[in-house]
Amino acid sequence: MDYQSMLAWALPMAVGLAAVGSGFGLGRAVGSAMEAMGRQPEAANKIQTGMVIGAAFIEALTLYALLVFFILSGKIG
Amino acid sequence: MTKKIELNFIDRVLKTTGVVLLICFVFGLYYFGFFPALAFLSGGVWGMINLLFLSELVKVTIRPEGAMKTKALGLAVIKFPLLYSTGYFLLKVHQFNPLYLLAGFSLLFLIIILKVVARALLGLDYNHDKTKSWNQVK
Repeated sequence: MDYQSMLAWALPMAVGLAAVGSGFGLGRAVGSAMEAMGRQPEAANKIQTGMVIGAAFIEALTLYALLVFFILSGKIG
Repeated sequence: MTKKIELNFIDRVLKTTGVVLLICFVFGLYYFGFFPALAFLSGGVWGMINLLFLSELVKVTIRPEGAMKTKALGLAVIKFPLLYSTGYFLLKVHQFNPLYLLAGFSLLFLIIILKVVARALLGLDYNHDKTKSWNQVK
């Protein structure tokens, strides 16, 4: 298998894996935040802030994977 | 010693990022040229708008009183199709190197990390009392 074929296989799989990982991470983060807010409604604003920052970091990881896809996809065939 | 994230932490991160982006844009114009500097600025502004919409979306959907459905729908429509298609357009502009876009986008996260590290390690926190700019976290 040549370099371009390997790249054509690996790139979509990498983006897919990144999306799945981010999905799991985001789901766990938001789920835990919901649970924490349910237990301590008075701390909801602080939990929300932490959750938004965490969600932004997780989203950024997927965007990095997508960007690498765009950068390297030009090298396929 | 309680270290807490204030409610306006995200707003302050956005303001700091805006100022740092402008400074970097001016330096980038001189050292790298117009399009790399503009790509860096565009990536940073895109990241700022993304974080702003994300936080607003969370604020209007996760509330004890129930979600504000119309506002949430409007924000979701702006964030997901429009903002992401703008990002795709930025990636497809030939003059913009994706690495500069990535660097601009990452600046926001660098600032978040630096703010949190400054708070955790140095015990510094911004004081809204205008007479003092910095104080120890109680």
